Amino acid sequence: MAKHETPLLDELEKGPWPSFVTDIKRQAEKKPECWDILGQLELSYVEKITHWKHGGIVGVFGYGGGIVGRYSDLPKRFPGVEHFHTVRLAQPSSKYYSTKHLRDLCDLWEKYGSGMTNMHGSTGDMVMLGCRTEALEPFFYEMTHNLNQDLGGSGSNLRTPANCLGSSRCEWSCYDTEEACYQLTMHYQDEIHRPAFPYKFKFKFSGCPNDCVAAIARSDVAVIGTWRDNIRIDQAAVKEYVAGNIPSNGGAHAGRDWGKFNIQKEVINLCPNNCMWMEGAELKIDDAECTRCMHCINVMPRALRPGADQGATICVGAKAPILDGAQFATLIVPFMKVSAENEFEELIEFIEKVWDWWMEVGKNRERVGETMQRLGLPTFIKVMGLDPIPQHIKEPRSNPYVFWQEEEVPGGFQRDVEEFRARHAA
Amino acid sequence: MALSKEELKAAILQKAETAPKPQLYVKDFYACDPDAKPREIKNAANDLVKEGKLMFWSSGSTTMYAMKSRIKDEEGASGVN
Repeated sequence: MAKHETPLLDELEKGPWPSFVTDIKRQAEKKPECWDILGQLELSYVEKITHWKHGGIVGVFGYGGGIVGRYSDLPKRFPGVEHFHTVRLAQPSSKYYSTKHLRDLCDLWEKYGSGMTNMHGSTGDMVMLGCRTEALEPFFYEMTHNLNQDLGGSGSNLRTPANCLGSSRCEWSCYDTEEACYQLTMHYQDEIHRPAFPYKFKFKFSGCPNDCVAAIARSDVAVIGTWRDNIRIDQAAVKEYVAGNIPSNGGAHAGRDWGKFNIQKEVINLCPNNCMWMEGAELKIDDAECTRCMHCINVMPRALRPGADQGATICVGAKAPILDGAQFATLIVPFMKVSAENEFEELIEFIEKVWDWWMEVGKNRERVGETMQRLGLPTFIKVMGLDPIPQHIKEPRSNPYVFWQEEEVPGGFQRDVEEFRARHAA
Repeated sequence: MALSKEELKAAILQKAETAPKPQLYVKDFYACDPDAKPREIKNAANDLVKEGKLMFWSSGSTTMYAMKSRIKDEEGASGVN
């Protein structure tokens, strides 16, 4: 029996789509505090103002992250949500779990919390929604001791690292994203569980430039698989695609008749750098011009594969819009070997150089991408000990943000203008 | 000359006690020892939390530090025991 009248929320149950209102009502039959979520939300819809307060000192002993305090500002009217803290749990690499583990987690959350979850939060954590302060420690104890499950990151911590399925399911993966994610998660336990930085910091691992975890858009350090030799071509398979014997895109568009496959129209003309052409029945690629957009490989996976000399591109500084609007990560290292053989040494060294600089010069609540923007890319690449390369330039002429220093120019800036003009007319 | 870890912790505590605002970012402690690296300051502040002398205050996206006695707990009481 509903505790509150919710005519506005009830509208959200109409139509063919699943409704969170229906879900919460169902959960409220078991957990009566969930009626107060609906009551408070209905009031917010009427008053057009939130009644949630977030933040506080809540947490579990020894940890400085993973729990976000949430309170109602109308606790007497909605006592079920007086405390309604969020608990973030670290997702396993690639989000592979057994159904038993999921059931055990849900049972534990029914015992200590509201039973409501969000699978998954944007960073990838499993998000357990709603529990009282006094339930946090017992929940944490049982979760860690019985389920071997840890909290994720929050606050000014390193956030739970995330990765794509990598080589576990995908033949395009150019390095072992799961191993990289796991090893770096273990290496940086202190940074995940205790605040260390001016603001949040994320790294994400994608196995190829398709970037299935959207690392380039969401992470401060994006590790995106790539190759530095040539795309591997199976010319016999190219002919089979052209003849229509192999469906394009792995058959993903087979639900509708798009007509006969046209390699010129669907692959060659869509290459952003125009670096592909046919010579008779053979597909040719000028690999030096390839930007690793993956389109041709996605369309003809049995004919084209990433090259064999594989590693990762490192981009730095993506973020969601808070200060200056959303920002993609900037390419910093075009190619780096990412391997468990040397315990990801080169990557770790890179990450820690970024941290040392950002912790020193970053402002409070400033993402590393904003610090880079404020102080300039030349400063950043100099701090990182890197030489400017053409790939650092977004486009020629309009943003020449690599400047020569006097010591880098033979003869410095003190040159003989007369002698120069003798060779170059004004 | 850089302070010893114990001296640094004492300086951080003093800052947390006397700063006009009760909640401080880790960067607010950098001035406690200009010769120390940011990581050393962070480690000292986190040690003080372990020892129960400071507390974390988190908005969910940012974490700050505060003296137990100076912050108003969201759960009602002023100061947290």
